[in-house]
Amino acid sequence: MPHMNAPMVRLEGLVKTRSQNESVFELHVPDFRVAPGSMVAVVGESGCGKSTLLDLLALVMAPTRVDRFEIAPRPPAPPWDAAALWSRGDESSLAALRREYFGYVLQTGGLLPFLSVRRNIELPGAINGGRPSRRRLEALARDMGLESCLDRMPSSLSIGQRQRAAILRALAHGPRLVLADEPTAAVDKARARTIMGDLHRLAREEGAAVVVVTHDTDLVMDRADAVYSFELEVVSAVATRSVCRPVAGGAP
Amino acid sequence: MSRPDSPLRQVPLLAAAHLRHEWILTLCLVVALAAVIAPLLVLLGLKHGTIRTLRERLVQDPVFREIRPTQTRVFSPQWFEDVAAWPGVGFLTPTILPLSSVVTVVLPPDRKTALFDLIPTAAGDPLILENGGIVPEDGQVVLTAEAARLAGAGPGDDLEVRITRTRGGRGETVTDRLRVAAVLDARAGSLPRVYAPLAFVLDVEAYKEGYAAPARGWPGETPRPYPSFDGALLLLPEPLPPIVRSGLVINTGFGRMVEIGRERVRKLLGRVPPDGFACYELLAPASPVTPSSLRAVEQKLRGYRRVLLPYARDIVVSVGERRFSPVGLSLDEAQAALLGWTATPWPGLSGLSREGGVPPCLWPAAESPAVGETLQVLAPGTAEVSFPVRVAGTTALDRPVLPVELMGVLRTATQRAVTFDPASQTFQMARGGYRGFRLYAKTIDDVPGLYRRLKDQGVEVAAQVEAIERIRILDRGLSHLFWLIAVLGVCGGTGVLVSSLYAAVDRLRRDLGVLRLLGFARGHVFFFPVVQGLILAALGLAAGFVGYAALAEVIDHSFAMDLAPGEAFCILPGSHVPLVCLSTIALAGLASLAAAWRATGIDPAEVIREQ
Repeated sequence: MPHMNAPMVRLEGLVKTRSQNESVFELHVPDFRVAPGSMVAVVGESGCGKSTLLDLLALVMAPTRVDRFEIAPRPPAPPWDAAALWSRGDESSLAALRREYFGYVLQTGGLLPFLSVRRNIELPGAINGGRPSRRRLEALARDMGLESCLDRMPSSLSIGQRQRAAILRALAHGPRLVLADEPTAAVDKARARTIMGDLHRLAREEGAAVVVVTHDTDLVMDRADAVYSFELEVVSAVATRSVCRPVAGGAP
Repeated sequence: MSRPDSPLRQVPLLAAAHLRHEWILTLCLVVALAAVIAPLLVLLGLKHGTIRTLRERLVQDPVFREIRPTQTRVFSPQWFEDVAAWPGVGFLTPTILPLSSVVTVVLPPDRKTALFDLIPTAAGDPLILENGGIVPEDGQVVLTAEAARLAGAGPGDDLEVRITRTRGGRGETVTDRLRVAAVLDARAGSLPRVYAPLAFVLDVEAYKEGYAAPARGWPGETPRPYPSFDGALLLLPEPLPPIVRSGLVINTGFGRMVEIGRERVRKLLGRVPPDGFACYELLAPASPVTPSSLRAVEQKLRGYRRVLLPYARDIVVSVGERRFSPVGLSLDEAQAALLGWTATPWPGLSGLSREGGVPPCLWPAAESPAVGETLQVLAPGTAEVSFPVRVAGTTALDRPVLPVELMGVLRTATQRAVTFDPASQTFQMARGGYRGFRLYAKTIDDVPGLYRRLKDQGVEVAAQVEAIERIRILDRGLSHLFWLIAVLGVCGGTGVLVSSLYAAVDRLRRDLGVLRLLGFARGHVFFFPVVQGLILAALGLAAGFVGYAALAEVIDHSFAMDLAPGEAFCILPGSHVPLVCLSTIALAGLASLAAAWRATGIDPAEVIREQ
């Protein structure tokens, strides 16, 4: 079972303000934790700030304000202070954290169209100075039903195959945290369930924590160790505030 | 944490994979770059090739490296030594007077004769060596093609030459047989010319001037220095009738005759004539008095009791540190008796230059010389002459008394170089200099510099400076043109690269965003367009060189009629290839900077959302 007392990701007192034209959107995250090896679902309607939260977790978006933002990929080693890295503008260290400990699954896979599926899957390992062994890669591919697709280009795969390939890419280099942004948005319900099942299973087998953003609550409620949702509040004609809170009953 | 350079190492692979994936677009870009590079290479090749061909045509023909004097003047041996040491001088040999440098060649079939130019040559003569000849040794000659044709002679044949002169109104001829060592290519000149070693040519010149060439058995005078004088004193017991006096300045070489006092005689000869003697001074204004003038006067004074004593003024000799102004006097017993003086221990004036042997002298008694002693005397002149004198006796004068013939020689030495040859114990005329030269520069590039240097010395010369300058001007003009077009081409090529790489980054925004998300830092994605720019430049260069090779072949083929074997109009010098490659690659790197800067500005969060 996950060890909730030593979260891998700890986010406290985070505020992210985004402005577009005259409208202002403010995301508040009072307390967000991801336990090692757990699956955390972030659910909510469109425009509630799910993806913003995921970008903040993925270290590609700077928080406007944050009290605590720590990432502890290898306990008991001391956690990385992401808040300090952002305030220092240490872009290199943030990128290094991303490539070593994170895996990312985009809505439509996000595979690089100019690399074969195999090279796509190998890439996160390669930029870490190594790559998964051929045997491991093929075992994982077989597990995901992709063994015949490895040497094809992404454009020749179906959407479901691309998503599974993206999941493989996110996990093959052994990350500690996998961030999935609506990984099943582009597929039908049955295929979505399979994909989500694959993600959950593989993450557990690899010992990686998963944060999955989705608007389809049913798809994750039975699998998630913790669920976070958003309370939207209209502050004025142009300002909206969204507060991210754990959903009672979703949490273990 | 992973090594920070691991992503950087992936950048070239990813950039290349992207170019390969979008191969049609890549091909278009490479073709666009090659379309800029190939014409520039052809232009550079043409510029270099045409200039090189023209230059080589000049360089190969030594005529274009020749610098010829256009006026006859005397060049001293020292001048030749100095000029031969100038940088850029490849070959230098003296020549002789143009009038002397002809020989009569006997043409075999009917033994008619023809006049051929005689040109001196020496080791290293480029005109000979670069036109298929060998430098002739003594007894050999090299002929121009025209000379060989007229003489019907080839290498190994003998050539009969005659050298003619007029001496004393009579024509004289010597004949020599010379072996033809080689015949030059036609381009060496269209005139019938004979090239012979300098020593032979100098002997020909000497013979034509009346001298002998003993080594060749050619008779003539020896180049003994002739005595010359400033004037002559005529001392007679009786004054001369005016008619006779007038006759002495007609057709004798003398121009003026004046009556002088005894003191003038003392001043010139150190002693005075007896009382009542008539004293005259014979002068030849603006020219030296020669023995023939003295003989002419003697001739006209036959029957008169007289003494004719030539003199040379202002001659100074030194013995060690001591300097003397000697008196010249040669007085036989009869003359001495007439004047009441003492005869000199050497004969009276012979009218000719002295024969060999150590000259005698009378040395001032005050100097306490030992009779029979030999003194080494130094006389300044055109070139300093050092010679011995034997003390034959003493004189009461404070000036040494030398034979007047020796004084005449010392006077001549002030105008032309004279040496004393200890072996034959004779004075000889030193060669004053040469009347011309043949000079070849090492390269055509040395010609203008040498031409100007000689002109600055006041030597009037002619050279193919204009032809060389024309090529230089053409070279400069083509260089300017090339750089102008090159700048335009480079601007075009850079524009193609800048815009295409910038556009590529725009198309790649999503993929670069994904790379950032996977863990590439801004600094890593910066290199993505840079590497692509370099790869495109390398491919463009390769295609450009292929295009250049094809175009150059077509150009050289088109002009094949005008080209000699081995020549080409379009040649890219090997040294330019790395320069072209490096500058193209550097330019491509620079052109990619705008795209690279844009790549670093991609916000992954934004790009991912755009999906």
